[in-house]
Amino acid sequence: MKIRDGVGKSAVNFDELLNRVDRDPQLLREVVDIFLSDYPLRMSALRLAIAEADWRTAEKVSHTLKGMLSNMAATRAASAAAHLELLARSVDAAALPDALASLEGEVALLLPELNGYSAKNVS
Amino acid sequence: MRILVADDDALSRTLLERTLERAGYEVTAVDNGRLAAEHLCCHDGPRLALLDWVMPELDGPAVCREVRQKREQPYVHMLLLTSKESKQDVVEGLASGADDYLVKPFDPEELKARLRTGLRILQLEDRLVEAREDMRFKATHDPLTGLFNRGVIVDLLAREVVRTHREGSCAVVLLGDVDHFKQINDTHGHVVGDSALREIANRILGAVRSYDYVGRYGGEEFLVVLNNCDTSLALSRAEQIRRAVSAAPVHVAGSAISVTISLGVLATKDWALLAVEEVIHEADAALYKAKADGRNCVRFANSSATQPE
Repeated sequence: MKIRDGVGKSAVNFDELLNRVDRDPQLLREVVDIFLSDYPLRMSALRLAIAEADWRTAEKVSHTLKGMLSNMAATRAASAAAHLELLARSVDAAALPDALASLEGEVALLLPELNGYSAKNVS
Repeated sequence: MRILVADDDALSRTLLERTLERAGYEVTAVDNGRLAAEHLCCHDGPRLALLDWVMPELDGPAVCREVRQKREQPYVHMLLLTSKESKQDVVEGLASGADDYLVKPFDPEELKARLRTGLRILQLEDRLVEAREDMRFKATHDPLTGLFNRGVIVDLLAREVVRTHREGSCAVVLLGDVDHFKQINDTHGHVVGDSALREIANRILGAVRSYDYVGRYGGEEFLVVLNNCDTSLALSRAEQIRRAVSAAPVHVAGSAISVTISLGVLATKDWALLAVEEVIHEADAALYKAKADGRNCVRFANSSATQPE
Protein backbone atom coordinates (compact mmCIF):
# COMPACT_ATOMS: atom_id res chain seq x y z
CA MET A 1 0.00 0.00 0.00
CA LYS A 2 1.43 3.38 -1.01
CA ILE A 3 0.65 6.81 0.21
CA ARG A 4 0.78 9.65 -2.31
CA ASP A 5 2.75 12.69 -1.20
CA GLY A 6 0.65 15.72 -0.36
CA VAL A 7 1.10 18.94 -2.36
CA GLY A 8 -0.12 22.55 -2.24
CA LYS A 9 -0.66 25.06 0.53
CA SER A 10 -2.58 23.21 3.15
CA ALA A 11 -2.90 23.40 6.90
CA VAL A 12 -0.80 20.24 7.09
CA ASN A 13 2.55 19.69 5.43
CA PHE A 14 1.90 16.14 4.33
CA ASP A 15 5.40 15.56 3.01
CA GLU A 16 6.75 16.28 6.43
CA LEU A 17 4.05 14.24 8.15
CA LEU A 18 4.76 11.25 5.93
CA ASN A 19 8.45 11.48 6.72
CA ARG A 20 7.61 11.53 10.36
CA VAL A 21 5.65 8.27 10.13
CA ASP A 22 8.26 6.71 7.86
CA ARG A 23 5.63 6.54 5.09
CA ASP A 24 3.78 3.91 7.03
CA PRO A 25 0.00 4.10 6.38
CA GLN A 26 -0.79 2.13 9.49
CA LEU A 27 1.13 4.51 11.69
CA LEU A 28 -0.35 7.52 9.89
CA ARG A 29 -3.83 6.27 10.65
CA GLU A 30 -2.83 5.63 14.25
CA VAL A 31 -1.45 9.13 14.85
CA VAL A 32 -4.38 10.80 13.09
CA ASP A 33 -6.78 8.80 15.29
CA ILE A 34 -4.87 9.76 18.42
CA PHE A 35 -4.89 13.41 17.37
CA LEU A 36 -8.60 13.38 16.59
CA SER A 37 -9.48 11.84 19.92
CA ASP A 38 -7.04 13.91 22.03
CA TYR A 39 -7.27 17.41 20.65
CA PRO A 40 -10.94 18.08 21.69
CA LEU A 41 -10.02 17.25 25.30
CA ARG A 42 -7.00 19.55 25.20
CA MET A 43 -9.01 22.35 23.58
CA SER A 44 -11.72 22.03 26.25
CA ALA A 45 -9.10 22.14 28.98
CA LEU A 46 -7.56 25.23 27.37
CA ARG A 47 -10.88 27.06 27.09
CA LEU A 48 -11.68 26.24 30.71
CA ALA A 49 -8.27 27.38 31.93
CA ILE A 50 -8.62 30.71 30.11
CA ALA A 51 -12.18 31.17 31.38
CA GLU A 52 -11.01 30.57 34.93
CA ALA A 53 -7.91 32.74 34.48
CA ASP A 54 -5.75 29.71 35.33
CA TRP A 55 -2.73 30.94 33.38
CA ARG A 56 -0.40 28.19 34.49
CA THR A 57 -2.70 25.46 33.18
CA ALA A 58 -3.38 27.50 30.04
CA GLU A 59 0.37 27.70 29.41
CA LYS A 60 0.86 23.96 29.96
CA VAL A 61 -2.04 22.90 27.73
CA SER A 62 -0.97 25.34 24.99
CA HIS A 63 2.51 23.84 25.21
CA THR A 64 1.15 20.31 24.80
CA LEU A 65 -1.03 21.41 21.87
CA LYS A 66 1.98 23.06 20.27
CA GLY A 67 3.86 19.74 20.47
CA MET A 68 0.91 17.74 19.09
CA LEU A 69 0.38 20.13 16.20
CA SER A 70 4.09 20.21 15.40
CA ASN A 71 4.11 16.44 15.26
CA MET A 72 1.17 16.58 12.85
CA ALA A 73 3.21 18.99 10.68
CA ALA A 74 0.48 21.59 11.13
CA THR A 75 2.84 24.55 11.13
CA ARG A 76 0.35 27.43 11.29
CA ALA A 77 -1.76 25.82 14.01
CA ALA A 78 1.42 25.00 15.98
CA SER A 79 2.49 28.66 15.73
CA ALA A 80 -0.94 29.75 16.99
CA ALA A 81 -0.54 27.39 19.98
CA ALA A 82 2.98 28.71 20.60
CA HIS A 83 1.61 32.28 20.59
CA LEU A 84 -1.04 31.27 23.13
CA GLU A 85 1.63 29.66 25.32
CA LEU A 86 3.62 32.90 25.34
CA LEU A 87 0.58 35.00 26.15
CA ALA A 88 -0.42 32.67 29.00
CA ARG A 89 3.12 32.75 30.39
CA SER A 90 3.16 36.56 30.36
CA VAL A 91 -0.43 36.63 31.70
CA ASP A 92 -1.63 38.79 28.84
CA ALA A 93 -5.30 38.21 29.60
CA ALA A 94 -6.55 40.77 27.12
CA ALA A 95 -4.89 39.14 24.13
CA LEU A 96 -5.75 35.54 25.00
CA PRO A 97 -9.33 35.34 23.64
CA ASP A 98 -8.22 36.47 20.17
CA ALA A 99 -5.28 34.08 20.23
CA LEU A 100 -7.61 31.24 21.23
CA ALA A 101 -9.95 32.10 18.39
CA SER A 102 -7.03 32.07 15.99
CA LEU A 103 -5.96 28.62 17.17
CA GLU A 104 -9.52 27.32 16.89
CA GLY A 105 -9.69 28.69 13.34
CA GLU A 106 -6.48 26.94 12.35
CA VAL A 107 -7.55 23.65 13.89
CA ALA A 108 -10.91 23.94 12.12
CA LEU A 109 -9.02 24.08 8.80
CA LEU A 110 -6.77 21.24 9.77
CA LEU A 111 -9.39 18.66 10.71
CA PRO A 112 -11.10 18.19 7.34
CA GLU A 113 -7.70 17.98 5.68
CA LEU A 114 -6.56 15.26 8.02
CA ASN A 115 -9.79 13.33 7.75
CA GLY A 116 -9.88 13.69 3.97
CA TYR A 117 -6.25 12.79 3.44
CA SER A 118 -6.49 9.82 5.72
CA ALA A 119 -9.66 8.52 4.02
CA LYS A 120 -8.27 9.05 0.52
CA ASN A 121 -4.77 7.70 0.95
CA VAL A 122 -4.99 5.08 3.60
CA SER A 123 -7.33 2.21 3.15
CA MET B 1 19.12 -2.00 23.56
CA ARG B 2 16.38 -0.96 25.98
CA ILE B 3 15.16 2.63 25.95
CA LEU B 4 12.63 4.50 28.07
CA VAL B 5 10.28 6.99 26.43
CA ALA B 6 8.45 9.37 28.75
CA ASP B 7 5.87 11.71 27.26
CA ASP B 8 2.37 12.58 28.43
CA ASP B 9 1.24 13.25 24.85
CA ALA B 10 0.00 9.96 23.38
CA LEU B 11 0.69 11.13 19.83
CA SER B 12 4.30 11.97 20.49
CA ARG B 13 4.76 8.80 22.53
CA THR B 14 3.35 6.60 19.75
CA LEU B 15 5.52 8.26 17.10
CA LEU B 16 8.62 7.75 19.23
CA GLU B 17 7.72 4.18 20.14
CA ARG B 18 7.24 3.11 16.52
CA THR B 19 10.29 4.96 15.24
CA LEU B 20 12.52 3.42 17.88
CA GLU B 21 11.08 -0.08 17.57
CA ARG B 22 11.81 0.04 13.84
CA ALA B 23 15.37 1.05 14.67
CA GLY B 24 15.72 -2.08 16.81
CA TYR B 25 15.22 -0.64 20.30
CA GLU B 26 13.22 -2.36 23.00
CA VAL B 27 10.94 0.46 24.12
CA THR B 28 9.27 1.04 27.49
CA ALA B 29 6.85 3.96 27.26
CA VAL B 30 5.40 5.87 30.22
CA ASP B 31 3.19 8.93 30.43
CA ASN B 32 4.55 10.72 33.49
CA GLY B 33 7.83 11.74 35.06
CA ARG B 34 7.41 9.82 38.30
CA LEU B 35 7.16 6.49 36.46
CA ALA B 36 10.12 7.46 34.31
CA ALA B 37 12.28 8.14 37.39
CA GLU B 38 11.22 4.83 38.96
CA HIS B 39 12.21 2.86 35.85
CA LEU B 40 15.51 4.68 35.42
CA CYS B 41 16.53 4.47 39.08
CA CYS B 42 16.25 0.66 39.07
CA HIS B 43 19.71 -0.87 38.94
CA ASP B 44 18.76 -2.95 35.90
CA GLY B 45 16.57 -0.25 34.35
CA PRO B 46 17.04 1.10 30.80
CA ARG B 47 20.25 3.02 30.19
CA LEU B 48 18.89 5.20 27.41
CA ALA B 49 16.02 7.60 27.95
CA LEU B 50 14.03 10.10 25.91
CA LEU B 51 12.24 12.51 28.21
CA ASP B 52 9.65 15.14 27.49
CA TRP B 53 10.05 18.33 29.53
CA VAL B 54 6.45 19.13 30.55
CA MET B 55 4.94 16.05 32.20
CA PRO B 56 2.63 15.38 35.13
CA GLU B 57 4.06 14.62 38.59
CA LEU B 58 7.71 15.20 37.65
CA ASP B 59 9.00 17.17 34.69
CA GLY B 60 11.88 16.04 32.47
CA PRO B 61 14.63 18.06 34.21
CA ALA B 62 13.42 16.81 37.62
CA VAL B 63 13.65 13.22 36.34
CA CYS B 64 17.24 13.91 35.22
CA ARG B 65 18.16 15.36 38.61
CA GLU B 66 16.63 12.41 40.48
CA VAL B 67 18.38 9.84 38.30
CA ARG B 68 21.74 11.58 38.64
CA GLN B 69 21.30 11.72 42.40
CA LYS B 70 20.07 8.17 42.97
CA ARG B 71 21.65 5.99 40.32
CA GLU B 72 25.40 6.12 40.13
CA GLN B 73 26.05 3.05 38.04
CA PRO B 74 25.59 2.02 35.40
CA TYR B 75 25.33 5.43 33.73
CA VAL B 76 22.05 6.44 32.09
CA HIS B 77 22.19 8.52 28.91
CA MET B 78 19.22 10.90 28.97
CA LEU B 79 17.97 13.02 26.13
CA LEU B 80 15.40 15.78 26.62
CA LEU B 81 12.96 15.97 23.72
CA THR B 82 10.75 19.01 24.09
CA SER B 83 8.93 21.86 22.39
CA LYS B 84 10.84 24.28 24.60
CA GLU B 85 13.38 25.76 22.27
CA SER B 86 14.94 28.86 23.82
CA LYS B 87 18.68 28.89 24.59
CA GLN B 88 17.80 29.36 28.23
CA ASP B 89 15.71 26.16 28.15
CA VAL B 90 18.54 24.22 26.51
CA VAL B 91 21.00 25.42 29.16
CA GLU B 92 18.58 24.66 31.99
CA GLY B 93 17.79 21.21 30.56
CA LEU B 94 21.44 20.22 30.22
CA ALA B 95 22.24 21.64 33.66
CA SER B 96 19.63 19.31 35.17
CA GLY B 97 21.73 16.32 34.11
CA ALA B 98 20.47 15.60 30.59
CA ASP B 99 23.17 14.52 28.14
CA ASP B 100 21.50 15.84 25.02
CA TYR B 101 18.65 18.07 23.93
CA LEU B 102 16.34 17.86 20.91
CA VAL B 103 13.49 20.14 19.95
CA LYS B 104 10.11 18.77 18.83
CA PRO B 105 9.02 17.87 16.26
CA PHE B 106 11.89 15.44 15.93
CA ASP B 107 13.50 14.37 12.71
CA PRO B 108 13.66 10.55 12.83
CA GLU B 109 17.15 10.36 11.30
CA GLU B 110 18.58 12.99 13.62
CA LEU B 111 17.00 11.29 16.63
CA LYS B 112 18.51 7.92 15.68
CA ALA B 113 21.91 9.51 15.09
CA ARG B 114 21.83 11.18 18.51
CA LEU B 115 20.89 7.89 20.14
CA ARG B 116 23.78 6.15 18.40
CA THR B 117 26.05 8.77 19.94
CA GLY B 118 24.53 7.96 23.31
CA LEU B 119 25.18 4.26 22.74
CA ARG B 120 28.83 4.96 21.89
CA ILE B 121 29.22 6.84 25.18
CA LEU B 122 27.59 4.00 27.13
CA GLN B 123 29.83 1.43 25.45
CA LEU B 124 32.88 3.52 26.31
CA GLU B 125 31.70 3.70 29.92
CA ASP B 126 31.21 -0.08 30.00
CA ARG B 127 34.75 -0.64 28.78
CA LEU B 128 36.15 1.75 31.38
CA VAL B 129 34.18 0.11 34.19
CA GLU B 130 35.30 -3.34 33.03
CA ALA B 131 38.94 -2.20 32.99
CA ARG B 132 38.60 -0.67 36.45
CA GLU B 133 37.00 -3.84 37.85
CA ASP B 134 39.74 -5.92 36.26
CA MET B 135 42.38 -3.74 37.92
CA ARG B 136 40.51 -3.85 41.21
CA PHE B 137 40.46 -7.65 41.07
CA LYS B 138 44.15 -7.84 40.23
CA ALA B 139 44.98 -5.49 43.10
CA THR B 140 43.09 -7.58 45.64
CA HIS B 141 43.56 -11.17 44.50
CA ASP B 142 46.41 -13.60 44.23
CA PRO B 143 47.07 -14.23 40.53
CA LEU B 144 47.88 -17.92 40.96
CA THR B 145 44.98 -19.12 43.09
CA GLY B 146 42.41 -16.34 42.63
CA LEU B 147 42.08 -16.11 46.42
CA PHE B 148 42.40 -12.82 48.32
CA ASN B 149 46.01 -11.70 48.38
CA ARG B 150 47.96 -11.26 51.61
CA GLY B 151 47.19 -7.55 52.04
CA VAL B 152 43.45 -8.02 51.65
CA ILE B 153 43.09 -11.14 53.80
CA VAL B 154 45.05 -9.48 56.62
CA ASP B 155 42.85 -6.36 56.34
CA LEU B 156 39.72 -8.51 56.43
CA LEU B 157 41.02 -10.34 59.48
CA ALA B 158 41.83 -7.03 61.20
CA ARG B 159 38.28 -5.83 60.58
CA GLU B 160 36.82 -9.09 61.91
CA VAL B 161 38.97 -8.94 65.04
CA VAL B 162 37.74 -5.41 65.83
CA ARG B 163 34.14 -6.31 65.00
CA THR B 164 34.05 -9.44 67.15
CA HIS B 165 35.68 -7.54 70.02
CA ARG B 166 33.07 -4.74 69.73
CA GLU B 167 30.10 -7.11 69.44
CA GLY B 168 31.34 -9.76 71.84
CA SER B 169 31.06 -12.34 69.07
CA CYS B 170 33.64 -14.78 67.78
CA ALA B 171 35.56 -15.41 64.58
CA VAL B 172 37.87 -18.31 63.93
CA VAL B 173 41.27 -17.82 62.30
CA LEU B 174 43.02 -20.69 60.56
CA LEU B 175 46.56 -20.56 59.30
CA GLY B 176 47.33 -23.52 57.05
CA ASP B 177 50.58 -24.65 55.48
CA VAL B 178 50.83 -27.35 52.81
CA ASP B 179 53.04 -30.17 54.11
CA HIS B 180 56.29 -30.90 52.30
CA PHE B 181 55.41 -28.56 49.50
CA LYS B 182 59.07 -27.98 48.66
CA GLN B 183 59.30 -31.69 47.80
CA ILE B 184 56.45 -31.34 45.28
CA ASN B 185 58.27 -28.47 43.60
CA ASP B 186 61.62 -30.27 43.69
CA THR B 187 60.21 -33.57 42.38
CA HIS B 188 57.67 -32.39 39.82
CA GLY B 189 58.75 -28.83 39.01
CA HIS B 190 57.22 -25.44 39.75
CA VAL B 191 54.51 -25.66 37.09
CA VAL B 192 53.12 -28.77 38.77
CA GLY B 193 53.60 -27.14 42.17
CA ASP B 194 51.54 -24.16 41.02
CA SER B 195 48.78 -26.45 39.76
CA ALA B 196 48.76 -28.28 43.08
CA LEU B 197 48.44 -24.96 44.93
CA ARG B 198 45.50 -23.96 42.72
CA GLU B 199 43.76 -27.26 43.45
CA ILE B 200 44.40 -26.97 47.20
CA ALA B 201 42.98 -23.42 47.14
CA ASN B 202 39.85 -24.75 45.43
CA ARG B 203 39.49 -27.51 48.02
CA ILE B 204 39.75 -25.02 50.88
CA LEU B 205 37.21 -22.74 49.21
CA GLY B 206 34.88 -25.68 48.79
CA ALA B 207 35.11 -26.52 52.48
CA VAL B 208 34.08 -23.11 53.85
CA ARG B 209 30.86 -21.10 53.74
CA SER B 210 30.30 -18.50 51.00
CA TYR B 211 30.71 -15.66 53.48
CA ASP B 212 34.01 -16.86 55.01
CA TYR B 213 37.28 -15.33 53.83
CA VAL B 214 40.11 -17.32 52.29
CA GLY B 215 43.42 -15.80 51.25
CA ARG B 216 46.90 -16.83 50.19
CA TYR B 217 49.12 -15.66 53.03
CA GLY B 218 52.47 -16.71 51.62
CA GLY B 219 54.04 -19.30 49.26
CA GLU B 220 52.12 -22.38 50.40
CA GLU B 221 50.35 -20.75 53.35
CA PHE B 222 46.66 -19.99 53.49
CA LEU B 223 44.79 -17.77 55.92
CA VAL B 224 41.12 -18.50 56.53
CA VAL B 225 38.69 -16.36 58.55
CA LEU B 226 35.44 -18.02 59.57
CA ASN B 227 32.90 -15.33 60.48
CA ASN B 228 30.54 -15.83 63.41
CA CYS B 229 32.01 -19.22 64.20
CA ASP B 230 32.09 -20.33 67.81
CA THR B 231 35.00 -21.94 69.65
CA SER B 232 33.09 -25.21 69.89
CA LEU B 233 32.83 -25.42 66.08
CA ALA B 234 36.32 -24.18 65.31
CA LEU B 235 38.03 -27.53 65.56
CA SER B 236 35.48 -29.42 63.49
CA ARG B 237 35.57 -26.75 60.76
CA ALA B 238 39.36 -26.89 60.70
CA GLU B 239 39.23 -30.68 60.48
CA GLN B 240 36.79 -30.37 57.61
CA ILE B 241 39.29 -28.23 55.71
CA ARG B 242 42.17 -30.56 56.51
CA ARG B 243 40.18 -33.58 55.25
CA ALA B 244 39.06 -31.72 52.11
CA VAL B 245 42.69 -31.03 51.21
CA SER B 246 43.98 -34.53 51.85
CA ALA B 247 40.91 -36.50 50.71
CA ALA B 248 42.33 -37.41 47.30
CA PRO B 249 45.61 -37.01 45.44
CA VAL B 250 45.97 -33.97 43.19
CA HIS B 251 46.19 -35.05 39.54
CA VAL B 252 48.59 -32.86 37.60
CA ALA B 253 50.34 -33.60 34.32
CA GLY B 254 49.72 -37.33 34.62
CA SER B 255 50.93 -37.56 38.21
CA ALA B 256 48.82 -38.24 41.27
CA ILE B 257 50.32 -36.21 44.08
CA SER B 258 49.27 -36.77 47.67
CA VAL B 259 48.85 -33.50 49.53
CA THR B 260 48.17 -32.72 53.19
CA ILE B 261 47.94 -29.55 55.20
CA SER B 262 48.68 -28.60 58.79
CA LEU B 263 46.54 -26.00 60.47
CA GLY B 264 46.85 -23.67 63.45
CA VAL B 265 43.51 -22.48 64.81
CA LEU B 266 42.54 -19.55 66.98
CA ALA B 267 39.11 -18.42 68.16
CA THR B 268 39.11 -14.66 68.81
CA LYS B 269 36.74 -15.01 71.76
CA ASP B 270 39.38 -16.90 73.74
CA TRP B 271 41.89 -14.09 73.40
CA ALA B 272 41.87 -10.45 74.36
CA LEU B 273 43.94 -9.63 71.30
CA LEU B 274 43.19 -6.65 69.14
CA ALA B 275 46.34 -6.35 67.05
CA VAL B 276 46.05 -8.49 63.97
CA GLU B 277 49.78 -9.25 64.06
CA GLU B 278 49.37 -10.87 67.49
CA VAL B 279 46.41 -12.93 66.29
CA ILE B 280 48.43 -14.21 63.33
CA HIS B 281 51.42 -14.82 65.58
CA GLU B 282 49.34 -17.05 67.91
CA ALA B 283 47.80 -18.93 64.97
CA ASP B 284 51.28 -19.40 63.56
CA ALA B 285 52.48 -20.80 66.87
CA ALA B 286 49.63 -23.32 66.78
CA LEU B 287 50.54 -24.20 63.19
CA TYR B 288 54.14 -24.75 64.29
CA LYS B 289 52.80 -27.14 66.94
CA ALA B 290 50.84 -29.04 64.28
CA LYS B 291 53.99 -29.38 62.19
CA ALA B 292 55.95 -30.54 65.21
CA ASP B 293 53.26 -33.11 66.02
CA GLY B 294 53.74 -34.85 62.68
CA ARG B 295 51.86 -32.65 60.19
CA ASN B 296 48.46 -33.27 58.54
CA CYS B 297 46.72 -32.25 61.76
CA VAL B 298 45.04 -29.32 63.49
CA ARG B 299 46.28 -27.63 66.65
CA PHE B 300 44.42 -25.08 68.69
CA ALA B 301 46.04 -21.89 69.93
CA ASN B 302 43.99 -22.05 73.11
CA SER B 303 45.57 -24.54 75.51
CA SER B 304 42.22 -25.17 77.18
CA ALA B 305 40.70 -26.50 73.95
CA THR B 306 40.65 -30.19 73.16
CA GLN B 307 43.51 -31.26 70.95
CA PRO B 308 42.86 -33.85 68.27
CA GLU B 309 44.86 -37.01 68.12
